[in-house]
Amino acid sequence: MTGAFADLLITAGVLVGLWSLVQLVVNRPLGRALRLGVWCLEALIAVFLIGGIVQIMTTDHDFAKLEFVGYLLGMLAIPLAALWWTRTDATRAGTAIIMVIGLVTSILVLRVQHVWAGPHG
Amino acid sequence: MDETRATNRGFGRVLVVIYALFAIAATARSVVQLSTKFSEAPVAYLLSALAATIYIVATVALARGDRSSRRVALAAISIELAGVLIVGTLSLAFPTNFPHASVWSSFGSGYGYIPLVLPAVGLWWLQRTWPQSTPE
Repeated sequence: MTGAFADLLITAGVLVGLWSLVQLVVNRPLGRALRLGVWCLEALIAVFLIGGIVQIMTTDHDFAKLEFVGYLLGMLAIPLAALWWTRTDATRAGTAIIMVIGLVTSILVLRVQHVWAGPHG
Repeated sequence: MDETRATNRGFGRVLVVIYALFAIAATARSVVQLSTKFSEAPVAYLLSALAATIYIVATVALARGDRSSRRVALAAISIELAGVLIVGTLSLAFPTNFPHASVWSSFGSGYGYIPLVLPAVGLWWLQRTWPQSTPE
């Protein structure tokens, strides 16, 4: 949970956020390429979720497991909900929503790492 | 409904997403707090549950955007603003009475002060999109 894959996911979230910001500044509505970017982010989150569940099952490390799984499931659901919410959006608002989602994903990875560290981490 | 003044169009769609994120965060936090350590700080954890409820109501009302939902959103966001100001002030003035943080403690410092800014933005958006009365 603190390894290279978490760093990759944080970077991917920031990149999606920055890409959306650029699209927002140049007044572009949410396009197919950015949606594809969100799907890639979603795929990385799915791998992160599976890795997290495997680590829960194979460790005796003391941390809030329920909270940990809740964050992972929330991370997986949020981009999907955003894609659904922006499905008919032809304005810059859709781009702004994806920007928020990218940054929130990165913040949630940091939060997951904090939960993983446990009360004594 | 006049689409140009709908609360769930344009910037309103972004606002709904931010409210939804806070609804999820506050609900998850309060469920964990109430189910695992309610006796440690019942007031703080009930405040978290109240905040979660208000975020859910505001999210749904802003997303629906019809006439009655606007009033519900106005009430929910006004309570949210009052809550963050009152709880924020009390938690700083009497920190020993608020040993466990809620979403609104210290004006939402644990969430980057977004809980303080969000209701102001929400009220601004409601005022901006409120239907104008047409003169006869």
